Amino acid sequence: MKFMSYIIFIIFFTSIAYAHKVNIYAYAEDGMVYSESYFSDGKKCKNSIIKVFDANTGEKLLEGKTDKDGKFSFKIPKITSLKLILCASMGHQDEYILNEDEIKTAIKSEKALKSKIKKDNNVQSSKSITIDSSELEAVIEKVIERKLQPIISTLLKIQRAEEKPGVTEILGGIGYIIGLMGLAMYYKSKKILKK
Amino acid sequence: MHISEGVLSAPVLITGAVLTTGGVIIGLKKMPYEQIPEVAVLLSAFFVASLIHVPIGPSSVHLVLNGLIGLLLGWMTFPAIFVALTLQALLFQFGGLTTLGVNTFNMATPGLLAFYLFRPFALSEKTIISGLAGFLSGITGIGLGALLVAISLVTTGKAFMNVAKLVIIIHLPLMVIEGIITAFCIIFLKKVKPELLEVKI
Repeated sequence: MKFMSYIIFIIFFTSIAYAHKVNIYAYAEDGMVYSESYFSDGKKCKNSIIKVFDANTGEKLLEGKTDKDGKFSFKIPKITSLKLILCASMGHQDEYILNEDEIKTAIKSEKALKSKIKKDNNVQSSKSITIDSSELEAVIEKVIERKLQPIISTLLKIQRAEEKPGVTEILGGIGYIIGLMGLAMYYKSKKILKK
Repeated sequence: MHISEGVLSAPVLITGAVLTTGGVIIGLKKMPYEQIPEVAVLLSAFFVASLIHVPIGPSSVHLVLNGLIGLLLGWMTFPAIFVALTLQALLFQFGGLTTLGVNTFNMATPGLLAFYLFRPFALSEKTIISGLAGFLSGITGIGLGALLVAISLVTTGKAFMNVAKLVIIIHLPLMVIEGIITAFCIIFLKKVKPELLEVKI
């Protein structure tokens, strides 16, 4: 009975999930960097500090805190590879590197967006319709972005699922333990036999 | 309570590694042949317990069971927790290989303390006393473990009191839960397999 009540206790008061590893993911667009942070069980990291470094020189560029959805965004401070370090509570840490190309593309798209807005104003005043390549590029990028959004979030979900330890890892670990037990018993038994 | 790679400074990592090496050697020397399977079983329990997530409180916490392991294994807690953390680092990417020493020390020391403080009471004839010894071991395991984590993080430049407060508050619900689980385990073992508790270590 005691054992049963213990089992029932375990089932009612705890749920099996995976915790204690943090992950950060980031992407750049339109001159901004967006990041998302979560624990390996999918829980968002709230109020966690994110430090941004220049990945080439190691110079610290800025620091900020995630919001209640584990998100943190900032304007690109410098055109270089950026290293984002997530410092969650109690010594949990992870990093993500955005390479220079990604940052450059994001800056370019921002410029295109700005010039488009400028042009839009001109268009309104002059009432003439002209489409140049940078404007077209910006429009296409916006549309593609909107279309890709669901795919990106699905990929993120898959990535999260991949990072959770599965049955293989758990059983593998227990297998190692049994193996080590056998090894320990073998050495100890040799000593006993010698006596 | 796994501290990740790259958080701690070298002196802390080295101190942790040295202390843990000492603990593991003493533990292996003290391990009697008959107890090796028991160590393996408890080590498996510790290995898997970190996947049991406790959804109470403000942060992500999981079962540790170091109080129970300490109470049952004494010095052998060190090798047991060392192996479990190594496997967790390799297979689950929890913690890290460089922080193994510090993490093992932080988790095994409270267990060892629980062994010296509460083992005599756990062997008591009365169920209430042994249950209480189990409960206190669970609380010591998590409470002192959290405190040691806070101490390890001091050198990272964070104010000790703030980190300590945060770590303790986050682990308060877990302390009670582990206390209850450890108490149940001790009472159960005394009923079903009393010889496990009577082994002289």
